This record gives sequence, C-alpha cells and structure tokens, in this order.
Amino acid sequence: MNQPTPIRPIIDRSEPEETLRMVAALPAPAGLEERIHAALEAAPASPKILAWPAQGGALRSWMRGAAAAAIVGVVAGGGWAIYSRVQPAAGPKMVELPRVTGSGGFSSAGAMRTPQTLSAPAVAQPAAPQAPVEAPQSIQAKKPAHRRAARPAQP
Amino acid sequence: MEIAPGAVRDQTRQHDQQAALAALVDEYASTLYRVAFSVLRNATDAEDAVQEAFLRVLRHRDTLGEVRDHRVWLIRIVWNIVLDRKRRAKTRPETDDIADLARVLPARGLSAEDRAAAAQHHARVLACVEQLPGKEREVMLLSAFEELSSVEIAGVLGITESSVRSRLFRARNLMADLLNHARGVK
Repeated sequence: MNQPTPIRPIIDRSEPEETLRMVAALPAPAGLEERIHAALEAAPASPKILAWPAQGGALRSWMRGAAAAAIVGVVAGGGWAIYSRVQPAAGPKMVELPRVTGSGGFSSAGAMRTPQTLSAPAVAQPAAPQAPVEAPQSIQAKKPAHRRAARPAQP
Repeated sequence: MEIAPGAVRDQTRQHDQQAALAALVDEYASTLYRVAFSVLRNATDAEDAVQEAFLRVLRHRDTLGEVRDHRVWLIRIVWNIVLDRKRRAKTRPETDDIADLARVLPARGLSAEDRAAAAQHHARVLACVEQLPGKEREVMLLSAFEELSSVEIAGVLGITESSVRSRLFRARNLMADLLNHARGVK
C-alpha cells in the first residue's frame, strides 16, 4: 500500500521564530544606560525657543494683551490695505432684458402698419373708364382644348 | 531672604521626575534597545532610537504619573520611532544587514561548517520576514520577545488581542510558504 505523499514538506512552524527569538535576545551594548543618562542631562529640560518669561505678574499680562492687540491691528490693517487697493471692475449698471409677453396675451408681431388716410376732397369729374383687363380670360384661352377633351369621363 | 514655598515644591517635583526618569532608563533601556535592534538591525541606529525615545519622555515627563504600564508605553514610543526611521532610511540595502546579523547570531558548539550553514539559514529566515506584509511582520517581530504577552503586544500596536492572534497565525502560515518556496528555488 502506497503511503500518501505530502503536498508540501512539513516545516516546523517555530523554526523561523527561533531565529527571531535569537535576534530579540541579543544583548544591549555595554554602557548604554550611562550614555542615555548623559544625553538626558545634556538635553535642555524644557524648550526655550517659545518660552514666555516666567517673571513679571501684572506686567506680563499687560504685555500679553498689548501684543495680542498689536497682532490683531496688523492683521486687520493689512487686510484693509489690500481691500482698499483692489477695486472690483465696474460692470454695466443696468441690463436691459428682452420683454417677454405673457403666454395668453396679444402680440403685435404679425401686425401690418397701415398709414392713416386723409379724407380727400370730392372729385368734380368722374374719371374716364378704363378698358377692362382680360388677362384671366386670355390665360384660360391659351390652355389646349384637346386636353380637356381627352380627359376620361368620371364613372 | 525667604524662598517661596511654590518654588520649593517645583524643585522637589522636578527632582522626583528626574529620579523617576533615571529609574526608567536603568530598568528598560536594554529592552528598548533590543526592540529597536530587531527592526533596524543596526547597533548605532538602535541606540539613537532609544535615546530619542527617552528624550521624548523627558519632554513629557509631567505625564509620567498618568501612565499605567511604563514598559508597554516605552516600547510603544520606541516602536513608533524605529518604524518611522526604517520608513525613511532607504539608503542601506537590507541584504547587508541580514548577512551581518546572521553572522553575529549565537552558534555555540557548532563546527565551522555548521556555523556557516546556520548563518545561511538565519539569513534566509530574516529575508523571508522582510517579505511579510507590514502588519504580520510587526506582530511576528514583537512576538519574538518572550517578555511580551499578546495583551502587551496589542497595547504596543494599538490593536485588539484577537487581532494579534489572527495576524500571528497568518504570519506563521506565510512564513512557512515563503520558506518552502525559498528551499524549492535552491
């Protein structure tokens, strides 16, 4: 009977951790604590760059208020200087919009203007009769007669 | 001339804080160094990291009294420092660190040939650790410190204990796969 072959070789899970444990257990160098003590003593106990002077009671509070007021004044003055120099561009004061007629109202869009006629004075003699224009008849006469004759009779 | 009682109190408080800080250095400097070295793998960098950690403590020494577990708190500080340093330092190739470290690991009672084989094995393991995803690698590195429980590792990393366990499980499986693959390639 064949033995089932393992898909992958069995690895002891603790094997890699043993290496890491050895790394973690490496001793610290000698004199480490002394060097750190020296570094801590050499370091300033408190940051001095932005430290406000500790002495001065009422004077200190007065100076602090004055400094705050000066800062506010400088910021506000600078802002006003910029605002007063930069003017917005002058635009049109009034814009005429097209008139919109109501949907149900009357419109004069298609209206034709006719001049007002004056009442003319009465003519003494009637005008001479003109010859009647016979253009429509002559046009009809030009149509060929045979076409009308050739049209089939309606049933 | 009289000395104000407030000034005396301040001096006493400062003296107490300095004494407490000195005690912390004496007690935990070695542990912090080992934690820093396990990540940075360089003695000078590790010592610098420990010094920086204690300088941070010095700056916030007023809060020392509020800290419940000083050991976990300090390890967390140095852990953040070394991770930050490692992220920024890309100049030195890691293969050099691994080879150096594998050589210094203890191999007592072994012949020269066995010592070379052991160094090669350690180097392979450390290279596989570097290939792990960040979260799994962090848990695996910290779990190598026998003095740290899973609760304390969770405290250092700012995660839950169950997360520590699941990450460690994943890390072990990944390491087994990586080592199998490395052996197959060889």
